[in-house]
Amino acid sequence: MGRTLFEKVWNAHLVRELPGRNGLVFIDRAVLYELLGPPAIDAIERDFNGALYDATRVIAVNDHVAPAKDTSTAELALELRRWAKKRGVRLYDVGNNGICHVLVPERGHVMPGSTLVCSDSHTCTIGAFASFAFGIGSTALAGVLLSSAVVVARPKVMRITVRGRLQKDATAKDLALAVVAQLGFKGGTGYVLEYAGDGIASLSMDERMTLCNMSIEAGATTGMCPVDETTIEYLRGREFAPKGDDFERAAAHWRTLVADADAIYDAELTIEAGTLVPTVTWGTNPGESAPLSGSVPFDADSAALEYMGLQAGARLREIELDQAFIGSCTNARIGDLRAAAAVLAGRKVRIPTIVTPGSQLVKRQAEAEGLHDIFQDAGALWTHSSCGACPGLSTGVLAPQMRCISSSNRNFPGRMGMGGRVHLASPVVVAASAVLGRIASPDELQSAVPV
Amino acid sequence: MIVEGTLFPLDRANVDTDQIIPTRYLGAVDAKGLGAYCFGGLPGIDALYAAHPEATIIIARENFGAGSSREHAVWALQARGFKAVIAPSFARIFEENAYNNGFVLATIPPDALERIFTSASARIDVANQMIAAGGESIAFTLDPLRKEFLLGGGFLRYMAGQIETVRAWEASARG
Repeated sequence: MGRTLFEKVWNAHLVRELPGRNGLVFIDRAVLYELLGPPAIDAIERDFNGALYDATRVIAVNDHVAPAKDTSTAELALELRRWAKKRGVRLYDVGNNGICHVLVPERGHVMPGSTLVCSDSHTCTIGAFASFAFGIGSTALAGVLLSSAVVVARPKVMRITVRGRLQKDATAKDLALAVVAQLGFKGGTGYVLEYAGDGIASLSMDERMTLCNMSIEAGATTGMCPVDETTIEYLRGREFAPKGDDFERAAAHWRTLVADADAIYDAELTIEAGTLVPTVTWGTNPGESAPLSGSVPFDADSAALEYMGLQAGARLREIELDQAFIGSCTNARIGDLRAAAAVLAGRKVRIPTIVTPGSQLVKRQAEAEGLHDIFQDAGALWTHSSCGACPGLSTGVLAPQMRCISSSNRNFPGRMGMGGRVHLASPVVVAASAVLGRIASPDELQSAVPV
Repeated sequence: MIVEGTLFPLDRANVDTDQIIPTRYLGAVDAKGLGAYCFGGLPGIDALYAAHPEATIIIARENFGAGSSREHAVWALQARGFKAVIAPSFARIFEENAYNNGFVLATIPPDALERIFTSASARIDVANQMIAAGGESIAFTLDPLRKEFLLGGGFLRYMAGQIETVRAWEASARG
């Protein structure tokens, strides 16, 4: 019987089976960051003399609020910094950092077929590289530092086949929102989502990461994409990727990291990419979305509508905005910034607009291409890399009832600031909305007067 | 292990970890101090606390603990004095975090939840996986290994006990 992609990676890392559906699974790479890493560090330093299974498997990043915004975030960053130095762990610090899920692939710290964990739920982003990459809590992360293994219930596998190509103005974000809407906010719980089909093959790695990033928003353990030449070419030449003949040997193995044709799945979902349109969330979880050209559904959850200050049936295009945010591990890679800049070129934003690149490398690449000038000429703020406004920690926190359109991944109550209202959308929709000061798609700008 | 107390009826689905403990409190207060901000992102929480001042067992709708991996969500619930959550389903990372901290989660079918939702109190017998509430006895599911962590305590001690096994596996599997 054929094996799924997930099964291949699972089998290659299963140390032993444990009671229930659990496995003791070997972890190739552990990633810590300043906000949720220190509790893991504290546990290991306090009770286990700080002993690491293998410091070379560990990477630390100051990313969530970097540079620190106040005393407590400075203390967290300092703890991570001191610990990394003391224990010989590679640290990406202010100036050379990035959101960990953006930084890890761009530096070549993830290889197809590997396992990776981080104390962050959006670790699923990295499943785009055919790795089993998933978020865990701080205590479980302490366990990984100690033993390079996790206890994890073996997930079921759902194949999500994407057929055809995305059409004009529909993006990988709209595909991700469609997956979450179709599965529901908890419909993926207990599953790995294995993305497949020609619709995935046609996506860039940046786009695949956007898609995998939101797998957690359907409750899934993670998402995974099969290896193809796009995967291999992305990794070629990355700082920590194998070089020369070693790379070709590795790539030959990576090419086997696809599902067998006769693999059997626990569940299936098919999406026609050509039917997708620019989408925006109206509610308080990422599954509550609708086509941007449409309305808030009449059966919308009343608590969500009350929080969002919306009426059932309201036209989404008429919703006025106070802020726009382009950033986060979902949509702040170079492809996202290029797409947003193409919309903003020669136009002006009407509302405060914040553009936060996903990493310092992305920032420098964008600047080499002149994208920072396009953003700033449009009147947007061009910041350093961090998680920024997405978790409501810095550089764009919302006030109560303030309404923001965001390229990030969560619209939970209070997510970007107490009482703040978040509409999730793609970078091009965020950019178009920033120009018009209301929820808008790029095609509405055709009649606008470019400079 | 028996957990007994009055119920805190949280009549909502998808109570996410941002609502349980907003991001701005992570690392800003120690674990014990998180209790003051427990459910700090949940609209309408003050009235609920006022109506159920002594409650220690939360009863909630599906997908409790969705979202972020922050273990602070469990620590905040514990610091506030909550001992357990009863719900039809939990998000994976939250569930793992709860067991790693000896915090009891009881997963019961939606119809059973409906019958006991307005009960005043509940008694959860972890060893026998039974809930007594509203004159009913309801069995709940519990992963056998997570149950061991709950009853035996010491998730990290368990992991420390795996190190030699892992090293031996790595030496043979990775040559």
